[in-house]
Amino acid sequence: MESGSGIDDYETLISTTDADLLKRSWRNEKAAPEILQFQASLVQRSREQIQLMEETVEELVENGEDPLTVSLYQMDIDRTLFLLRSYLRTRVQKIEKFMFHIEKTAHLWTRLSRQEQKFAKRSMEDMKKHLEDSVLCKMPDRYKSHLKQSLISAEDDMVPEPKLDAFVICRTIKFLGGLPVDDSGEENPLDMYAGDIYALRYKSIKPLIESGQLDLV
Amino acid sequence: MRRRFPQFYAHVDKVFDEMPVWVVTVVKELKDYWNSKMYGRKASQLLKELVSGDSGQLTGFNNDLFKQVIEECDESVHHCQALLRKMQEEGTSNQTNKNPDHYGALVHHLSLVRNKRCLMAYVYNRAEVVQNLGWTFKAKLPDAIKMKLSSEEQKYFTNHYATLQSYMKDLDLDLAVDMLPPKDPYIKVRVLEEIGYVSLGDQVGNLTMHAILFLKRTVAEDYILQGKMEELTN
Repeated sequence: MESGSGIDDYETLISTTDADLLKRSWRNEKAAPEILQFQASLVQRSREQIQLMEETVEELVENGEDPLTVSLYQMDIDRTLFLLRSYLRTRVQKIEKFMFHIEKTAHLWTRLSRQEQKFAKRSMEDMKKHLEDSVLCKMPDRYKSHLKQSLISAEDDMVPEPKLDAFVICRTIKFLGGLPVDDSGEENPLDMYAGDIYALRYKSIKPLIESGQLDLV
Repeated sequence: MRRRFPQFYAHVDKVFDEMPVWVVTVVKELKDYWNSKMYGRKASQLLKELVSGDSGQLTGFNNDLFKQVIEECDESVHHCQALLRKMQEEGTSNQTNKNPDHYGALVHHLSLVRNKRCLMAYVYNRAEVVQNLGWTFKAKLPDAIKMKLSSEEQKYFTNHYATLQSYMKDLDLDLAVDMLPPKDPYIKVRVLEEIGYVSLGDQVGNLTMHAILFLKRTVAEDYILQGKMEELTN
């Protein structure tokens, strides 16, 4: 890597606000078929900032500040709050959809926050009970599992999983060369320049999203 | 089909016409028998019901059909066990000797597993819709929707809603508000007074009373301030 790009990275790093980061995490979370790493410190910081801004707004109102200024502040709070809520909501919906899969896959389970893990556990109990009461209690003995079709099945073959080979739209942040985008065995590397937009299979670019070199849109 | 192969169908009709009446009756009976007895037919009907509705919408829980599929499962396991028992008595191992009974038992096992998959898919997919009801209706479901749920599904809704609430309490943040991005450039409004033809920015629209419209926020805001419109929020 050239020495110049290090400084560029540093500059983008300090000019990137938490609002940008939150927006990015929110977008990635919305577009990715599977659940991504919970941005614990980012969420924490954003919540602190929201609180701080709310206090500022109260102060401004008390001081009889120009209503326009106040409403601008308020709008900013509204936006951040929306992003935060929508981010957490999207994750909740993914947990609801793939709870059994997430729970039995260790590297996915650790991506959840402590509260999310608690939520997932309770959701699983609810769902399991519901499936048992509705279907499984009426099934014959060897067919009562909610994870397996029957006792003969070696693996859990009834757990919904996210479709990792779904296509996603992504944008490169910096140049990425020789990307293996096709797993058909054919040599078909792809050069991506900063700002390029591609529709690719999620599976093939998964590591790049996790390391923050690619953004989903 | 008929129009594309007129000659073929004319021939078929002729064959049917010339057939003795009893043959036609038997064919029909066989067809009915096939339709009602074929393993897995009912379960697939159950799923067809699920996918034919709009996504996110529920139809009434089909207790009747559901029960019939369960009965079919019982029947399958009954047949399956009978065959296995017969094989044990005859001393034929299902590993070495692939005899007809082995495959008979296998067919029953497979049809049972398929029925189970269908039943689970039916319940699970409905449960996913039930999960989402909490966002729109909060704890109290309208009667119209309640009627469509089975008693288990109602229980599940209550349980899952409580789980979601406890998660939000842990977070100390209500996630059920702010469902739409704030300050959307366009908003949904209801016209409260007869306004008539007016310019709406780039186009002219007829604003009649009670009309519900999607307008640019900047355009609508004036009317809202005058009390001639109200913003509709969900």
